[in-house]
Amino acid sequence: MNAAAAGKTYPGSTFVVDPRRVGAFRAVFDEDTGVPATFATAAEFSMIPEIVADPEVGIDFTRVLHGGQEYAFERPLREGESLTVESTIESIKGFGGNSILVLVTRLAEPSGVVVCTARSTLIERAAG
Amino acid sequence: MPSIGDVSERMELPVHARVVTAEDVRTYGDTGGDRNPLHRDDDVARAAGFPGIIAHGMFTMGHLSAAVSRWAGGPDRITRLAAQFRAPVFMGEEIVAGGRVKAVDVERGVALLECWVSVERDGRTEWPIKRGEAEVLLDA
Repeated sequence: MNAAAAGKTYPGSTFVVDPRRVGAFRAVFDEDTGVPATFATAAEFSMIPEIVADPEVGIDFTRVLHGGQEYAFERPLREGESLTVESTIESIKGFGGNSILVLVTRLAEPSGVVVCTARSTLIERAAG
Repeated sequence: MPSIGDVSERMELPVHARVVTAEDVRTYGDTGGDRNPLHRDDDVARAAGFPGIIAHGMFTMGHLSAAVSRWAGGPDRITRLAAQFRAPVFMGEEIVAGGRVKAVDVERGVALLECWVSVERDGRTEWPIKRGEAEVLLDA
């Protein structure tokens, strides 16, 4: 990975909190009501293809492991709502042949009010 | 759902266990949008040095989130959740989620939890998630 890509922001696509998808997600985890907290990662994944394809980042996704995940909610996600999703590469660091990318994704109302901030740590293992 | 008066430090959450199957992991991948072959193709997982496919870290965290949600009275109660993925989870294993109240913030009306997911493997306890953290809203 290219450490110089740290700080880069990928702006605003729209993510719909699709009730059918939320229902399927709830069923996987045997939750009865609401939008499971980890559903916010579906919004993160809507941004991942663009970042993986970005030659400026140079990530090899076949060598990536998920190292950690955090969420902070200002309020719960609501079924049926449309949110804007924007991701920023917070940091890219090398560690013993591995590269560690921290991606921060903000889910916001169309007005810009942030609903949830998700932080993913992605570890690209050394090649070979 | 717990109210502030009912919750005290060191209180334990009920443990929440499930056996992980390839079918559930595949369904999670389809639903969550993560179709990495490491989680659905044994050959790919073996090439990466695992004995077979592994669960997504987010599958394990989704289970932990459900355990916290059950205790808290629904996912809408969760205001913060954090975990690091420390060990893989293989198919057929039972993952056990647990947690404990670390502190109660009366002013903000929240409980801070430490939470984890363990698995018994070859006579040892492994910790796919060891020092997870959650913050949940409590009833007044």
